[in-house]
Amino acid sequence: MVRVKSRYLLCEVNATDRNLLLLLDDRAVTVAVKDVVQRIHGDYGAALCSFGFSVKYLNAVTGIIFLRFPKRCYKLLWSALPFITSIEARGKKITCFLNCIYVGGTIRTCQKFLIRYNAHQLRRMLPKCKNEEERRDVQQAILDCCLTRNHTDESEDALESEEDE
Amino acid sequence: MCFEPDTKKKTPVPCPVPLTELMEELPVVQGRSQPIRVLSRLTIVMSDSSHYRASCPEYRPFDLLAVQPQTDKLFLSACMTYDVDIICISVSERLPFFYKRAPVYGALERGVVFEVSYAASIRDATRRRYTLSNAMFHSDVCKGKSVIVSSAAVKALELRGPHDVMNLTQLFGLSDRDGRDAVTTNCRAALLHGESRKTAGGIIRTFRRAEEQKEEQSPVAKRSRHDAAETKPV
Repeated sequence: MVRVKSRYLLCEVNATDRNLLLLLDDRAVTVAVKDVVQRIHGDYGAALCSFGFSVKYLNAVTGIIFLRFPKRCYKLLWSALPFITSIEARGKKITCFLNCIYVGGTIRTCQKFLIRYNAHQLRRMLPKCKNEEERRDVQQAILDCCLTRNHTDESEDALESEEDE
Repeated sequence: MCFEPDTKKKTPVPCPVPLTELMEELPVVQGRSQPIRVLSRLTIVMSDSSHYRASCPEYRPFDLLAVQPQTDKLFLSACMTYDVDIICISVSERLPFFYKRAPVYGALERGVVFEVSYAASIRDATRRRYTLSNAMFHSDVCKGKSVIVSSAAVKALELRGPHDVMNLTQLFGLSDRDGRDAVTTNCRAALLHGESRKTAGGIIRTFRRAEEQKEEQSPVAKRSRHDAAETKPV
């Protein structure tokens, strides 16, 4: 048997107002993506999208989304994503755009990439800290993610919570 | 990239704003150790041949020079004779004329690139249709060679990430390879062409070895595979 293959897109939601990002949920993103695919590729695109497309993971605090597309048509569906200008969530319109930062064949590689990416973000954050407290927090977070990465690959949940600062 | 307003008839050519006025310190893009480079460019919308003056001193301060010809004849002369770096393809109206392969290939040989901008297509549906149809017609004619894709964004929310743009180019009728070149290699070629046009001959680049090594060590997070392959043999 040949298994069903898919592609996972790691997208970052960039919005002008970051507080509105907290309103995001799976349904809103699904509706927004299906809507834009329908608008760009018509009924054919909507049909491709209805099968095998899902939002696998969503982090409302950092605005990170994993989208799953069937491998056969992921390029076509992906090409509709740049046309998203707003996502409607809980009655409010969030003006934003999706920035795809990684495409992976498995969710595991995507997660690995995300961890590396977030650790890198922390390091970029460090010189921009305003006060001493922030600085200590970020340093602690960097230290933690270095330790977890060296010891085990598993305990990523702890890591995730650190990166939200 | 800075977008200067287009020159109207009789209005003087504006001067680019010096960088120090815009920003104190240029931001560093993630995955790179150096701050971004900001260049200035001038786009001349031409409906008459008098709009472009060859070797005009007012064009000197600009790093890149672009023209957007509106008629058949101007397109031909822009491709063949004008000393410019970029020829813009209109995105807000139907292509005002049709052209054949000969002028386009003349431009390719001289190293002039063609530019399609995508922000108008994000803004509304009619302009999306024009953008796509014009871009598809063009990539049919030139077989996808030496096209660059730019944003022409007026708001920050109209910008898109590099991977998204690379994939978007397949709607413009470019293949995977050509789409990647449209964002990376061809843009660099246009910049180098602009530099050599300014210095009127050729250019020799010198760079310090230490900086080069630092760039290699920078995290691979945001570097595309193509980019990595390009820098490794150095």
